[in-house]
Amino acid sequence: MTSGIVGYGTYVPKYRIKVSDIAEMWQKNQQEIVAGLRVSEKAVPALDEDAVTMAIEAGKRALAMAQISPTKIGSVYFGSETHPYAVNPSSSIVAEYLGVGNDYFAADLEFACKAATAGMQAALGLLNSKQIEYGLTMGSDTAQGKPHDALEYTAASAGCAYIVGAKQSEIIASVLEMSSFTSDTPDFWRRDGAKYPSHFGRFTGEPAYFAHVFSEGKKLFEKSGLSPKDFSYCVFHMPNGKFPRVVAKKLGFMSEQLAPSLTVDKIGNPYSASSLLGLAAVLDIAKSNEKIFFVSYGSGAGSDGFIFETTKTLTAKQKNTLPVAKQIEDKSYVSYATYLKHTHTL
Amino acid sequence: MKINILGAATTRFGELWETSPRALAREAMSHALKNADLKPQQVDALFVGNMLAGILGNQGNLGSFFAEELGVSVPAFHIEGACASGGLALHNAINSILAGQHKTVMVLGIEKMTDFNQEDITSGLMAAGSDEERQAGATFAGIYALMAQAYMQQYNVSEELLSSVAVKNHYHGSLNTKAQFQNIITIADVMKSTRIADPLKLLDCSPISDGASAVIISSENIGDVSNPVSITASEVATDTLALYQRESFATLSAVTRAASKAYSKANITPSDIDVAEIHDCFSIAEVIATEDLRFSKRGEGAKDIAEGKYTLGKGKIITNPSGGLKACGHPVGATGIKQIVEITEQLRGQAGSRQVKGARIGLTHNVGGSGAVAVIHILQT
Amino acid sequence: MKITPVKLWRRQKHVASLIGKTGTLLQWTVIRVPAKTFVKEAPYPVAIVKMDNNEKMIGQLVDWQLSDLEKGKKVIAVLRKFTPEDAESVIAYTIKFKPHENY
Repeated sequence: MTSGIVGYGTYVPKYRIKVSDIAEMWQKNQQEIVAGLRVSEKAVPALDEDAVTMAIEAGKRALAMAQISPTKIGSVYFGSETHPYAVNPSSSIVAEYLGVGNDYFAADLEFACKAATAGMQAALGLLNSKQIEYGLTMGSDTAQGKPHDALEYTAASAGCAYIVGAKQSEIIASVLEMSSFTSDTPDFWRRDGAKYPSHFGRFTGEPAYFAHVFSEGKKLFEKSGLSPKDFSYCVFHMPNGKFPRVVAKKLGFMSEQLAPSLTVDKIGNPYSASSLLGLAAVLDIAKSNEKIFFVSYGSGAGSDGFIFETTKTLTAKQKNTLPVAKQIEDKSYVSYATYLKHTHTL
Repeated sequence: MKINILGAATTRFGELWETSPRALAREAMSHALKNADLKPQQVDALFVGNMLAGILGNQGNLGSFFAEELGVSVPAFHIEGACASGGLALHNAINSILAGQHKTVMVLGIEKMTDFNQEDITSGLMAAGSDEERQAGATFAGIYALMAQAYMQQYNVSEELLSSVAVKNHYHGSLNTKAQFQNIITIADVMKSTRIADPLKLLDCSPISDGASAVIISSENIGDVSNPVSITASEVATDTLALYQRESFATLSAVTRAASKAYSKANITPSDIDVAEIHDCFSIAEVIATEDLRFSKRGEGAKDIAEGKYTLGKGKIITNPSGGLKACGHPVGATGIKQIVEITEQLRGQAGSRQVKGARIGLTHNVGGSGAVAVIHILQT
Repeated sequence: MKITPVKLWRRQKHVASLIGKTGTLLQWTVIRVPAKTFVKEAPYPVAIVKMDNNEKMIGQLVDWQLSDLEKGKKVIAVLRKFTPEDAESVIAYTIKFKPHENY
């Protein structure tokens, strides 16, 4: 059976802080940092935003695009590293505010930056086994970076929501393939009660991000029998501007195939929303019958891979979107002190 | 049945760090008894007006609490209506006499605010508003600021003009030894004071104060009857709890209605009033009140105040000779009774340098919240 | 102020129905000296909004700048956190208003 995305929504907060302003705070070489990370500014949440409020915004937009009643949603999965509660589900809070009702499977997920893509796979499982009609999955984070740590330059905020369904006429991007590559690789973690995550520097590169994304990527090529030239677009998890560019090249993609997805350059890394935001940026502009290669990454570690193919329905539904590009440009800069206030450090 | 004011007294208003609520009550009530030449045993009941004792101090049961300070275990009641608690306590005391239940009643208005910090007080005062107003992060200054904005836009009035309220009331306060602030201020002082909630600034806002005031009313003519003052009207009206639900934000309909009933009951017109104590919790409140009480025409209240039409020595109807809430101070539950004490002293010719010459008819205007409740009293010799 | 989980739960469907509704600014003030709960957020505007269905609401304005504070400015109702007083309470979400063309 065909199943796929019937609607998606994204939310990027209004505020930004320039990477160069953060570098200036710590008296580092601003150009060196910006060039090294290939990120110029990142999205900062308002004082009263959290993963839940952003997911609700994204969820409303996804429902508007899918044009379905929220009561038809049969599963709600919410992936985040910054769930507002350690114990109390974000998924049901969002579902209640979206008007989903009471008849749905629900769970909160954590798997670093790939929590939401794992949720998508779970939703597709329920969908393909005909246990639900539509599944809503959200990835949303108000990512925290420890002051003076490397991650401070990129840890950002955003929320994404995807609705999957099985009605041919509603699907904007079918799922042709999905698989995962997982291992126990402790490159980046946060202990219970700790405010900021910890990471192991260069260990987060080759053995972690690259090993998993590359392995999952290869698996997708093997399973599908396709090669890079068959794809119009590729999307990868974006911890910074450098890593996705390197892995795309390694897997054999051209920079033009990757470029439209690179939301990281202007808004940083919103963790569970990162790869899904890149996918949305692509879906905002893609034409019909185009293949999209997608691999996420979550530290700890694992990669979720999908091959999507866009349909004729995408063009009609693009009219119901608030494009990612537009939200990226709708911005207001804050100072470092205001950024600390907004991220509850002050 | 005539309601006579036998005794009236007030403590100083201000930051009375060393004076407990019990001591404040004892002072006000004992002075009221002395003023009336009465003993505690001649009092049949006690009505207490207070807003924050429960909210901030976790103390309820205020009837019994303060009856202890009167020294007699008479029927005692706590009446609350935010900043109109004092006026409402008096209104209920009057009703108990009119109902034939009691003959001579002590009414105490009392508030002790400086035991608590400013943020807690600001939150506590918002109990006078609605949940929606609290959730929106509004403060009382914020709610009156919304009124100020509406008024200023509707009648094209500037912040400078609004500032004249505080200037007048500080001038009056300088003549009142019981006032919290006895300093003269200027328009420029008001304009450069700290912004609290745009457009209201620090000197547009009444202060945080401690104080107690007490009056003894009776259907009898007992005690010292040399200076008879009676209450000829006591009227109450209410409106929506929250400001935003009303039609206009530039008038308090509860005041207009209560005042109309009061003028009618006392068989007088607004121009018959010689002296009035007005609830100027914020400068805009006095401007709007001056119009709602029909002393000034709509939209001309600020201009009239600025031109001295209500100032001692210059005007015809003198408003807030005590210094008002702004200069005399605003211990919330006490204000309504302090207003009665001031008008009583004026009508008795005992107001010293604040005396409004030949004052025979006076009015008090006491408001709760943003106009959710208004209580008007008319006093005459 | 006391926001208990029961009160939140009882009001939730009503609050949910308000998300995304639009209106215009009637009157506003900027709170500079806030009540205890709001100390971190000050200064912030509090506005009376006339909703498109003619009902009036009062709420905090978010993602704002000074030029947004004009009569008739279009706003949209969004769900935001009501800053909790302590780290142990239930998180309250409440309706606030955001300038509309930025949406």
